[in-house]
Amino acid sequence: MVNLKSAIPAMILSFIVYIVYTGSIDPYDLLTGAIVAVIIGLLTGEIVIKDPGKAFDPKRLYWLIKYTIWYFLVAEVKAHVDVIKRALSPRIPLNPAIVRVPYYVETDYAMTTIANSITNTPGTVVVDIDYGRKIFYVHWIDAKTSDPGEARKMISLDFEEHARKIFD
Amino acid sequence: MKASELFVLVSIIVFIFSLAYITSLGGLGQLPPVNVRLLAQRYLELTWNPLKPFMSSSGYESVTAIVWDFRGLDTFFETAVFYGAIIAAIAIYRGVKITGKGRTTGMSPIARTITRLSIILIPTVAASIALHGHLTPGGGFQAGSVATVVVVLIIMVFGRKALIRKGMTKARILLFRSLGLLGIGFTAVAILLAGIILGLNAYIFQNQPKPFAPLGFPKLYDGMILGGSLLLFNLFEFIAVTAGFTLVLLLLSLGEEEVRGVVEK
Repeated sequence: MVNLKSAIPAMILSFIVYIVYTGSIDPYDLLTGAIVAVIIGLLTGEIVIKDPGKAFDPKRLYWLIKYTIWYFLVAEVKAHVDVIKRALSPRIPLNPAIVRVPYYVETDYAMTTIANSITNTPGTVVVDIDYGRKIFYVHWIDAKTSDPGEARKMISLDFEEHARKIFD
Repeated sequence: MKASELFVLVSIIVFIFSLAYITSLGGLGQLPPVNVRLLAQRYLELTWNPLKPFMSSSGYESVTAIVWDFRGLDTFFETAVFYGAIIAAIAIYRGVKITGKGRTTGMSPIARTITRLSIILIPTVAASIALHGHLTPGGGFQAGSVATVVVVLIIMVFGRKALIRKGMTKARILLFRSLGLLGIGFTAVAILLAGIILGLNAYIFQNQPKPFAPLGFPKLYDGMILGGSLLLFNLFEFIAVTAGFTLVLLLLSLGEEEVRGVVEK
């Protein structure tokens, strides 16, 4: 049997994506969007959403919006400036290494948020994950430390705190 | 810059300019004659033309109007060729059991989580391409191709067996593909059938009413442009193409050891 509670957040996401992609709010698009959203939500809700209660928690939504803005406008810009400086500097100061970065969140969505946040900022890339021991292996353009705890503070602590508030 | 890089750069520039020069001289065959351009003008003029209701199609998108209305029969046979190719693929793999039993490892948990989200996003975008095909560039085949991306992702990231365990069995995909094709066939003859029943003149592949053939698919409803037969063709083609590609991908993802037993018989 289809899990209706899981289906509803999936439907809402599908409907928003349909309207944004179509780029129009004519009655035809709203109608077809609603039909498509209901079908896709019913088919995929169970696979995509395990805890539908979280999807309607306004606090989580607030943190999600706050994190999105902070991530793209502050964290990304800082990392870009840092890498641009390195690229333009005549000495090209590099100190690359792969370091262990542990994480302490429970859900897959929170873990993925941290991993993709690390990878998407220039200078750090998650190259592998040890799912059992909860460790990312991160390639770092300027490895200031090889201590996992210190590396976590420098690379992923901000991401992790937000990811926990949004998804865990 | 190294000499070899310079050589590559210069040869690309020389190639582009000489190609442009040859084309302008007519060296690659004649440019389209003026009467062919008139045909294009006619298509553009008649795709959506409320002043000429008997000659125009039922959507804004000229390509969709040509593909499914002006030249609809061509597309029908192309779809039949695609259908035949998939039948051939199934015939080659006859007797091979495709089961969801056994373990799948798949990719990392990061890839799995992101792919899970794309299971909502990609089919939604595909549906928009199909259902908007008579208004903006897109249509059934394009939408089916987009939707197939999610199948590729599931097979690569979760494993083929996971796809089957989630209910995408060969029999079910075949059913959907047949439904899509039946839908296309039915849409092609629907107006003709209605004409026979009502005792009116009608044609195959009729979309809008013609002189002395008053039946047609709905073009407008309450200000919404429904696109007549274009919408139905796009929708059914979307289903048929998605199911067809999915089936082929499922067959291609079989390992040699699974096919071996049947081949050696």
